Amino acid sequence: DGVAVLPAPQNLSVHSTNMKHILTWSPVVVPGQTIYYSVQYQGEYESLYLSHMWIPSHWDSPIAKPECDVTDDITATVWYNFRVSATLGSQTSAWSILEHPFNRNSTVLTPPKTEVTKDGSHMVIELEDLGPHLEFNVVYWRSEPDAEERSKLIKNGGISVHLQTMEPGAKYCAKAQTLVKAIERRSAFSRVECVEVEGEALPL
Amino acid sequence: KTLRLGSCVISTNLQKIQSTFSEIRDSVQAEDRNIDTRILSKSLSLQDTEPSDQCCLLRRVLRLYLERVFKNYQTSDPHTLRKISSLANSFLTILKDLRLCHDRKTCHCGEEAAEKYGQILSHFEELAPQAAVVKTLGELDIFLQWLEETS
Repeated sequence: DGVAVLPAPQNLSVHSTNMKHILTWSPVVVPGQTIYYSVQYQGEYESLYLSHMWIPSHWDSPIAKPECDVTDDITATVWYNFRVSATLGSQTSAWSILEHPFNRNSTVLTPPKTEVTKDGSHMVIELEDLGPHLEFNVVYWRSEPDAEERSKLIKNGGISVHLQTMEPGAKYCAKAQTLVKAIERRSAFSRVECVEVEGEALPL
Repeated sequence: KTLRLGSCVISTNLQKIQSTFSEIRDSVQAEDRNIDTRILSKSLSLQDTEPSDQCCLLRRVLRLYLERVFKNYQTSDPHTLRKISSLANSFLTILKDLRLCHDRKTCHCGEEAAEKYGQILSHFEELAPQAAVVKTLGELDIFLQWLEETS
């Protein structure tokens, strides 16, 4: 069994944006050598009922970079602990544990990138694809005094969605926000985007 | 999915839990040697329970899974380990939500809940410990169907 002579990785932290969670740490440096890392995790269940048990991350093949995408390990809105060890040949470091457990409800939610276009007289929006966890609330209206806002829930990004049919000579606007049901949170709205249909406004 | 358990209403990602279990169901059920018996029998189901007792029965069955099934299921396969962890932490989330109902006095434990859970437990304890763990884990799709039918 390798003797723990390698220093344990330090400064573990989780960076989470739009439900994508990346565990990072400070690299262990041995000049001229490649260091490999192993990542394991423990959900709140394990820490309550099976505190000795640590589970190999999905990304469980030895990792050469000082980071690991742990998104697929975090499947519930509970606290998760992570630990990392370094390996060089037969030498293995001690485990280093994340200082503060991570809960996905703290993920940073950013407004989606949007593109509002017109297809003939149709108002169309395309939203950035941000992965399976995220849905979008799109609010759209005709740009006029006392305009009535309407909203539409869009389940996935990366596709064009028809919002409404537009009348000539009128301007129509839309904005969008990211929704995550699993953690019951939403992002700020994106900036407003408008399109206009040329031609004479129809007589009232 | 919204689960309606009498006046206790919670939401959970049942589809995600079902798809997680489906990844290990066949291998777990293949381990079950006691194919003539059933722990979660139809007569004990959640949906055929008085609504006012459903929350309490659910809490107890969840605790059975957390404290005696997931905890004692033995596997060395990392993939299965990860799926069990995912199921257990999802069940823990549901249990926490039900605890809020309990705090708001909307999770009453009546006679029916006690009677039905008592029968589930006696079925569980009739089997050898590890056999009971394997069978109950294998019956998770029955339990999830119960939840589906209260949603």
